[in-house]
Amino acid sequence: MDAFIRVANQSQGRDRLFRATQHACMLLRYLLESKAGKEAVVTKLKNLETSVSTGRKWFRLGNVLHAIQATEQSIQATDLVPRLCLTLANLNRVVYYICDTVLWAKSVGLTSGINREKWQMRAARHYYYFLLLSLVRDLYEVLLHMGQVARDRAKREKSSGDPPKYSVANEESEWLQSFLLLLFQSLKRNPPLFLDTVKNFCDILIPLNQLGIYKSNLGVVGFGGLVSSVAGLITVVYPQLKLKAR
Amino acid sequence: MDAWVRFSAQSQARERLCRAAQYACSLLGHALQRHGASPELQKQIRQLEGHLSLGRKLLRLGNSADALESAKRAVHLSDVVLRFCITVSHLNRALYFACDNVLWAGKSGLAPRVDQEKWAQRSFRYYLFSLIMNLSRDAYEIRLLMEQETSAHSRRMKISGVGVSGLETGGPGGPGTPGGCLPQLALKFRLRILLLARVLRDHPPLLLDVLRNACDLFIPLDKLGLWRCGPGIVGLCGLISSVLSILTLICPWLRLKP
Repeated sequence: MDAFIRVANQSQGRDRLFRATQHACMLLRYLLESKAGKEAVVTKLKNLETSVSTGRKWFRLGNVLHAIQATEQSIQATDLVPRLCLTLANLNRVVYYICDTVLWAKSVGLTSGINREKWQMRAARHYYYFLLLSLVRDLYEVLLHMGQVARDRAKREKSSGDPPKYSVANEESEWLQSFLLLLFQSLKRNPPLFLDTVKNFCDILIPLNQLGIYKSNLGVVGFGGLVSSVAGLITVVYPQLKLKAR
Repeated sequence: MDAWVRFSAQSQARERLCRAAQYACSLLGHALQRHGASPELQKQIRQLEGHLSLGRKLLRLGNSADALESAKRAVHLSDVVLRFCITVSHLNRALYFACDNVLWAGKSGLAPRVDQEKWAQRSFRYYLFSLIMNLSRDAYEIRLLMEQETSAHSRRMKISGVGVSGLETGGPGGPGTPGGCLPQLALKFRLRILLLARVLRDHPPLLLDVLRNACDLFIPLDKLGLWRCGPGIVGLCGLISSVLSILTLICPWLRLKP
């Protein structure tokens, strides 16, 4: 109970809960749409999804300031690559939230002469750029950690004194196995990086679908959104699992 | 910027901002109607108010759990009166939020057959009970503080020894003198008012809580038809209480501790 209240008391925590609900409805709707006699349930799921989606706009109002602050913070990063990626990512996030605010103003009837489709595309595009840059940063971090793991392994092998075994056959598959093992170990050692990568990867399916770059079905988008929302929730519940800029 | 980010990170803060905006719209709508503004503008303001109201309902989902948790904590208070007032207040708040969730489910199409009017009345009734308990608690705190102030004052007088002879002397308006009762009562009343003012001035959290609950009280009274204030007064009271709530979120030391 205490944990729930702590999460619910943070705007971000509550928003993630509603986002998880929204995408869970999307996924369920996709799964049930082909079933006979489930029309009433599908309609309710659609209504709930719409209500939560509309309501969530209230949580995003004012987030443009959070994004501006995040941009200021990312400029302080010491490493050049994360600094560049994060700063550009956060700038795109600022623009995304501005577009989102414009769309909100349209939906509540504050502005009349707004082209909804155009602004939605604009918002989706900047969200896509934000996620792309976040993934580039994640990739960079993964490569750094893989390098570290490889060096540690080499050091261990040198100290043990075992002669390296070479086999010409299956060299390619062996390399692939070695690479995947290295990747797995790197991510296992760094849960915050793993969570961030999963979240961004699942999130990017949404704007990819909206922009028509990579068409997925409702189920994939719903599932991706659900997984990324849960990953986001985990970082709210356990702040130590949030990826820090080096 | 940091202050805003920290403030806005609390979901309660966003709900309060939303509430302030809603009642500001209500007040503005009333003012525009009285001054004969265009029907188009009035419709737009009313529409925005509706959106804000519905948005707040989503923001309040899950607050029942928080209120129940607060009630559970209040059960452990040592003072019997405070324990009763605060616990019952939180329980009523939990029920209010539960009714509000039902209303949201109705409006969002999850439960289309919900009787909006019935549940709205129910919701406002629980809200009213909660506010009455809050004000009772405030009154109790005030009485305690006034007694403390009176005791401290008497002790100071006794120590100094200056006023003792004055109190004991009959003088004009003393007992037995006919026609002297009214000025004496007026004097006593004025002293009580001054004492109350001093107590509230010395305890800003209590003052804010009294003002907030008093302003909030007009909302359910109007909605339940117990005391018709009109949308202008309701809007103004809602706005004031929302601003006071935001104030206690920004400055936590202004929050009344049990």
